[in-house]
Amino acid sequence: MAQDAPNETLSLLTRLSQKPGVQSTLVLSRDNGAIVRTSGLISNSTSANPNSTLPASTDNAPDNYGNARKESGIHSAEDVASMVWSFLSSAGKLVDGLDKDDEVKLLRLRTKKNELVIVPDPKFILVVIHDTPPA
Amino acid sequence: MESTMQQRRDEIAAKRARLAEIKQQRLLRKEITANRASMGSPSELAQPTPSREHQKRDLDAIINSVLGDKDSRPSSTGPPGSPAGGRATRPTSVISASQLSSDNEARTSSPAPAHASGTGMVDRDMQTLAIAPLATVFEFDAEPKKEIITYSKGVQTSTDWTPSKSRGVGDSDEERDESPTRTPRASKRMSRRQKERDDEIRANIRKEIEEEQKLAQLSALDAGAAQGGSKENFPFRTLTNEELNAVQSSDEFFNFVERSTKVLERALDQQYDILADYALAGAEVDEEDEGYGSAGGKKGRRIKEVAQFWDERWSKKRMVSDLGFSTKFPELVLASYTKNPSAPHDPDGLIQVWNMHMHDRPEYIFHAQSDILTAKFSPFHPNLIIGGAYSGQVLLWDTRAKSAPVQKTPLTGSGHTHPVYSLDIVGTQNANNIISCSTDGVVCGWTVDMLSQPQEFLELASPPPAKTDDMAVTCIAFPQSDPTYFLAGTEEGSIYPCHRYDRAGAKAGVDGRVKYFGHAAPVMSLDFHPAKGAIDLGDLVLSSSVDWSVKLWKVRPPAATGGAGNPSASGAGAAQTVTPLLDIAREDLVYDARWSPVKPSVFALVDGAGSLEIWDLNVDVEVPVQKVTPSENQRGGFAGMPSGIGYMNRSLNKVAWERNEGRKVAVGGMDGVVTVFEVGGDLGGTETRGEEWSGVKRLVGRLEGEGVK
Repeated sequence: MAQDAPNETLSLLTRLSQKPGVQSTLVLSRDNGAIVRTSGLISNSTSANPNSTLPASTDNAPDNYGNARKESGIHSAEDVASMVWSFLSSAGKLVDGLDKDDEVKLLRLRTKKNELVIVPDPKFILVVIHDTPPA
Repeated sequence: MESTMQQRRDEIAAKRARLAEIKQQRLLRKEITANRASMGSPSELAQPTPSREHQKRDLDAIINSVLGDKDSRPSSTGPPGSPAGGRATRPTSVISASQLSSDNEARTSSPAPAHASGTGMVDRDMQTLAIAPLATVFEFDAEPKKEIITYSKGVQTSTDWTPSKSRGVGDSDEERDESPTRTPRASKRMSRRQKERDDEIRANIRKEIEEEQKLAQLSALDAGAAQGGSKENFPFRTLTNEELNAVQSSDEFFNFVERSTKVLERALDQQYDILADYALAGAEVDEEDEGYGSAGGKKGRRIKEVAQFWDERWSKKRMVSDLGFSTKFPELVLASYTKNPSAPHDPDGLIQVWNMHMHDRPEYIFHAQSDILTAKFSPFHPNLIIGGAYSGQVLLWDTRAKSAPVQKTPLTGSGHTHPVYSLDIVGTQNANNIISCSTDGVVCGWTVDMLSQPQEFLELASPPPAKTDDMAVTCIAFPQSDPTYFLAGTEEGSIYPCHRYDRAGAKAGVDGRVKYFGHAAPVMSLDFHPAKGAIDLGDLVLSSSVDWSVKLWKVRPPAATGGAGNPSASGAGAAQTVTPLLDIAREDLVYDARWSPVKPSVFALVDGAGSLEIWDLNVDVEVPVQKVTPSENQRGGFAGMPSGIGYMNRSLNKVAWERNEGRKVAVGGMDGVVTVFEVGGDLGGTETRGEEWSGVKRLVGRLEGEGVK
């Protein structure tokens, strides 16, 4: 277990992303929202580093997003990240408003098509988008 | 009188209008400062918002809409439709100068105190505006009584104004309707002054916004890289390769991934769809009650496979050596494994704790230096797991700690020097001991807190008729009622009663006067009846052996073994041989047999052919009510092998019941796969009927009668 942590985390995340129904996974940093790792998402960035991303150009991002969503259900990592970010922050505000000492532990957002599971942690955020049985 | 009252009322209304304006302005400003606050503090969760250019445009638009509306419709305080209307102050509130100042105090102690210094100047401006003498007539009438109430709610509690928005708007509409006659005069007077004031306000806000923007730009420059998450550059700054590596190899990240993926796997493995709409899904009727061919039969006796646990990394090439359910968390199943001969660098001993709600991955993994041969959850402490190892060590793991044992016995002569195949925790919640037994016949008692030395040490020796003293103990079992007495099964096939302590008429150790003889090969398991019902069946013992049989015994109570109640038993020195009540011959080696924890007549056994059999003595004593084999999926140590070899290796070693409800049975064997079955209502579940108990009692009586004949 305690051998090399990076390989272990990699295998855990890989297994998670390979579970049946999982479309994409996303790991964000909690304090600055930087994307740490993604799978199953297209990054707008042309950077050589597959795990890092550049800011999406604001002009064509909405287009890409709209098209992508209609065509394949695959969104750009930055869009998902920013949407998750704002969703999480408003959820955080709600919880704060209800009880100052409370905090968000888990968000599950069901849509008609799929489900987002968001696990916020003090340092990181893990997001998984997966298919749900059609209802 | 009437006119003065009217005048007064008008004045009040006018003042109120003005104050409303001021508040609006203040709120606007507050909003801005709040924005600035979130930009300025990096620790806060920054939220994505439009770029600053965008922001400026928005602000202008807001100002224009707020103030522009005023120009065209000067008499309405809280323009219902304007964007700022959401924050509009309640038009019915009246605030005197002193109240205003108290309001200011309240406001400065509001959520963004860091910016109090910056806001002071603006407040003074606004106060100047507020005390300008005015005798303005406002368009609608207001009832003073009501107004005071509203005010006391709104200001004295110093809460935000937003929540009362809808009510405020509604009120103003009503009241405007009430007094249509005064409108023209009022609006004329209002409009001139208000225009002046609006201009002033507008100028103030402009100035302020410019300042804000300058500040924001500065702070953005300052913060730069350190504060990449501020909303301006929301589509985050790029992490460099070095940073990514640093983040990904940090312990924090590892722990986070460990935790969060566990949560997610549980979430994803949750099979029940809570949004299921049964009205819509009428076509797909769940036919699971009928679907299990071999396992079908009467509904209450059905058995169904619910989960299989196997981990590619850890379960490979290991055999399951023991299984156990947690009593505190019935969804947790513990499985201990032998070593993986082809992975010399992995720890030999392994325990995986599986969760019924997480199918692909163990909840916990524990290690040991030596093969673990037996393990169980402590019934008295939900976090503790005890195990016995091939090296003779007794180990203790804690689910709150890491994978290494938190305590283990030393490898010295003071404890076991032979493999520990059997152990148990006996006693009560506050006083319990671990009793372990190794194959050389040594039985040790340990306290859970101290494993460095055994508290009790007892060496079992074969009673006189045997050729040697040596006794190879394969398993021990304690009755529910008496922790000082136990049975020991041996490799030669006999079962001996043993005492932990010296007592009247018997020394500690094997009680030589009674011998339970019936098995012709090593005894693989012993299990006392759990006896939790109306009739005490605690003297029934089930034993399994590799002589292809399971036997049912009625154990003599230890006090009566040599006593007057049994005169024929106390022949001097000669051991009395007790024969089994019931001998159930099977078609293969029987490796384990366990009573159901809830149903008095039900037990489960596993055999070398790889089948799990569920027996109900009240139904039949010759054939099992259910016989199933775990499904052959693609996983498992022998998944890819030809069926001939696979058959040989599909042998099941252990069976365990879920302790609380008795609905689940776990089996595991040679291929390292743990399979969990769920049994129907007749074979498990807490509701038992009285006749089940009396049925077993009658059966025992009948069998005893036959034995005497």
